[in-house]
Amino acid sequence: MKQAVILAAGEGQRLRPFTANKPKAMISIAGKPILHHVIESLARNGIRNVVLIVGYKREQVFDYMGSGEQFGIDITYVNQKKQLGTAHALAQAKDAVKDEFLVLPGDNLIEAGTIARFVTIKPEAMLVKRVDNPTRYGVVTIEDGMVKNIIEKPEEAKSNVINTSIYAFSRDIFNRIESELDIPNVLNNMIAQGKYLSADETEGTWLDVVYPWDILSLNNILLRQTQAGMGGTVESGVSLKGAVAVGKDTVIRSNSYIVGPVVIGEGCDIGPNVCIMPATSIGDNVVVSPFSEIKNSVIGNDVSIGPGSIIQDSVIDKGCVINGQFTAGSGQAEVKVDNEYHSINTGAMLGEGCSIGSSVVAEPGVIVGNYSQVQSLKVINGILPDRSLVL
Amino acid sequence: MLKSPYDFLAVEAMCGIVGYIGNKQAQPILLNSLSKLEYRGYDSCGIAIGAGSLKVYKDAVRVEALAKMMPKLNGMAGIGHTRWATHGKPSQVNAHPHLDCSGNIAVVHNGIINNFQSLRQQLIAEGHKFISDTDTEVIPHLIEKYYAKNDKNLEKAVASALNDIEGSYAIIVLALAEPKLVAARKDSPLIIGIGDRENFIASDVPAILDYTNRVIYLEDGDIGVVTKDSLRVKRNGTKVNREEHKILWSIADAQKAGYDHFMLKEIHEQPKVIRDTLAEWMSATEPVTDLAAMCDGMKPVLILACGTSYHAALIGKYLAEEQLGILARVEFASEFNYSAQNLTTTGVIAITQSGETADTLKAMKKLKEVGCQLLTITNVVGNSASRVADKTIYTRAGPEISVAATKSFIAQLMALYWLVLSCSQADVRKLDNLTTGLRQLPEKVQQVLDNEEKIEQEANYLSGYENVFFVGRGINFPVALEGALKLKEISYIHAEGYAAGELKHGPFALLSENTPVIAIVPRDNTYDAMLTNIREIKARSSTVIALVEEGDDTIEEFADSVITVPRVDAIFTPVVNTVALQLLAYYTARKRNCPIDFPRNLAKSVTVE
Repeated sequence: MKQAVILAAGEGQRLRPFTANKPKAMISIAGKPILHHVIESLARNGIRNVVLIVGYKREQVFDYMGSGEQFGIDITYVNQKKQLGTAHALAQAKDAVKDEFLVLPGDNLIEAGTIARFVTIKPEAMLVKRVDNPTRYGVVTIEDGMVKNIIEKPEEAKSNVINTSIYAFSRDIFNRIESELDIPNVLNNMIAQGKYLSADETEGTWLDVVYPWDILSLNNILLRQTQAGMGGTVESGVSLKGAVAVGKDTVIRSNSYIVGPVVIGEGCDIGPNVCIMPATSIGDNVVVSPFSEIKNSVIGNDVSIGPGSIIQDSVIDKGCVINGQFTAGSGQAEVKVDNEYHSINTGAMLGEGCSIGSSVVAEPGVIVGNYSQVQSLKVINGILPDRSLVL
Repeated sequence: MLKSPYDFLAVEAMCGIVGYIGNKQAQPILLNSLSKLEYRGYDSCGIAIGAGSLKVYKDAVRVEALAKMMPKLNGMAGIGHTRWATHGKPSQVNAHPHLDCSGNIAVVHNGIINNFQSLRQQLIAEGHKFISDTDTEVIPHLIEKYYAKNDKNLEKAVASALNDIEGSYAIIVLALAEPKLVAARKDSPLIIGIGDRENFIASDVPAILDYTNRVIYLEDGDIGVVTKDSLRVKRNGTKVNREEHKILWSIADAQKAGYDHFMLKEIHEQPKVIRDTLAEWMSATEPVTDLAAMCDGMKPVLILACGTSYHAALIGKYLAEEQLGILARVEFASEFNYSAQNLTTTGVIAITQSGETADTLKAMKKLKEVGCQLLTITNVVGNSASRVADKTIYTRAGPEISVAATKSFIAQLMALYWLVLSCSQADVRKLDNLTTGLRQLPEKVQQVLDNEEKIEQEANYLSGYENVFFVGRGINFPVALEGALKLKEISYIHAEGYAAGELKHGPFALLSENTPVIAIVPRDNTYDAMLTNIREIKARSSTVIALVEEGDDTIEEFADSVITVPRVDAIFTPVVNTVALQLLAYYTARKRNCPIDFPRNLAKSVTVE
């Protein structure tokens, strides 16, 4: 296989507030957007010709991916003006693809090993995997290595083998899409007409991020591969233990204590006397003021954290300005997303550009919408919509 | 000098030239390189390839059209040219490359030859035949003349020919049966790209980035002899060493990457540009320069610039005066060159994106001669301005392909904020606030970008008008000028920027319901005065679109519609306001179906006076 089509047009509504200004594929895990991890996996398997189907907030993809040069690949962008479904998205690529190509979702985290064998398979083929929670996905019935049918989100799963949404197709697929909006429907029709769809199973990484806190578990898994590196400067008395990667122009000030795996971006100012505990990712241009502890969290670009802050199991999106003594501790919480209640152990989820006063306490599981403002000494909990004012 | 009626058709300037000599077919390389230089000019183009015989193919078309029309010419050495006319319509006969009588010497030229008339007459008297009206054509004939006299030593012939010429030039010479290209420069940029058994010559870096990122800049008076394996540079007959630079831009930087226009891409790059420049400077261990030390007691600092950079200079003036208490004087470089003043300033800041702007360079050289200290703020590493100045601040915005300046302007503002910060004069607490504010700018600018759709709606409205006014006060007065310039450049609407207080001193007479007004209304000490202005403007039936801070409810009673930008400290309002106005100009131009990246009559780097 020499070419791949990546579907990166989707919004990912359940990941609000994080997807208000970026598509799901651009959510950052371990310092890079999911899409970057997907593209890297393709490049490592020799696929350097990529057609990117974009739509929702596509400028975010353009700004990060550019023309692909810096990732060693060639990107052709195709705009899906209305996000009507995966088959509709794929159909947009018709003029840009050659004879055989892989199709992958841009928002499922994979590693090079996941598709290492699949890239050599002849179309038409589907990559499947066994998971613990098959009812969330398309459950696949396989006979003699061929897919018999795909049942989306069944009440009761006949097996735990699901469709990873990674396919190997030939141009023939475009004849079969017709008016179907979703690929599994196209495939079921295809099978009913007697066409063969082979199944290949992978044991490699294949992870989905559905809810905001999923970002933390994926972050954890990916950070395990961090390699230590120092692109910035370190003052005296700083302790770096384990795999700590620090970007260029970043300064780690005296007596800070960083235990890996931790990834820190470029142009940051950390410390003095700051503790960063595993497994944490920090973006570019982030300021962490003295006497703060950040543990198992994901901090976006341009964030400023005031002195004496405690941040655990939290996701803080870019541009937040947080004043001193901010506490986002971890704990049990009942969080409601999309009319479903989830019982989880987590810290705070802060959207982009929030302005948090001094000594604010964020209760476990709080989700704060983008551009919200919280006055000093407030205690915040529950789900706050975008542009909330807590006064 | 008596000018002949042919002068109108003759004078060439503002072009892009390329050359290739190596182990591959030259034609595709030359055409590709030329397409990357089209921002310098695109009225006509041509290439010459030397192998067996010297073949020239040229026409008054764009590079893409030439590439389709022309036959496949074999050869591994060649030169090319793309032209922007300052005088006379483009035509095939006037396009470059130009040949000598024998047809064995081809030349491409960027620049102006002031004495070409007398040279031409003399050459005609000596038996040479001319076919075009260009000044360039004298060059191959001069070389032909000296080639025979110098025992067929091409380099010496070129040197002699150049001795006769008065004016500016960047030239590349291709001679049949010579396995080399000769390049020379004087007052016009020329670089050499070093490859593996192949070498490239071009007016500018984007032309060669697809092939190599190792670059050597020729200096005024240099003559370079380039073969596929070697480069030898001489000046006044003596060999000189020119340093090799590695270009940090990647090829991706110079491509549109999903966006419909380079300008939109470059507008969207601004958060990253701000973040990257801040990262570099905040981690720097030495201060850039001490502005106060540049000023000599009571004498003001002189800031020189052209175009958009001039607007950055005006903002620099406000910063120097308000933050540091240093008197600053801002001049158009072109005007400065014509004033017969007694130069008493000791500190000079020259702001130029390309570093090749002729007017600015001329002023810098004049000032250097009288002993001034020169600082330049520029975007292109190793350019002419950086070689004249005592100190250089590089803005690192990456290549700006779109003719209209966007990210380079914002990057210049960053440099000015940074200069203030690194100055010993400033109050420590002010510095602290400045630093915090700067770090928040990438996010704030991104928020303006995320609000694009609203701005597009206002642009659609604006696109129906032919006359638009922009008004601002204080540090946002230059923003009004810049907003008007952007709209003018790319949408061809006649837009004017004014200090709001000045409108009623004349321009009011122009206001009617056909002249929308964009009013910049930040929440600073100019707020109340701006509201009064808006009332006065509305009394003349003009539509007012106000550019305001988020959450400002008062303004809605006064203005017809509103574009909001996120809250920032007063000193940073020019940044978010300019980005909003860049988008306004872009979408207006788009609605009017203007070419945007390559507006009519304009070129990116104005290397003529």
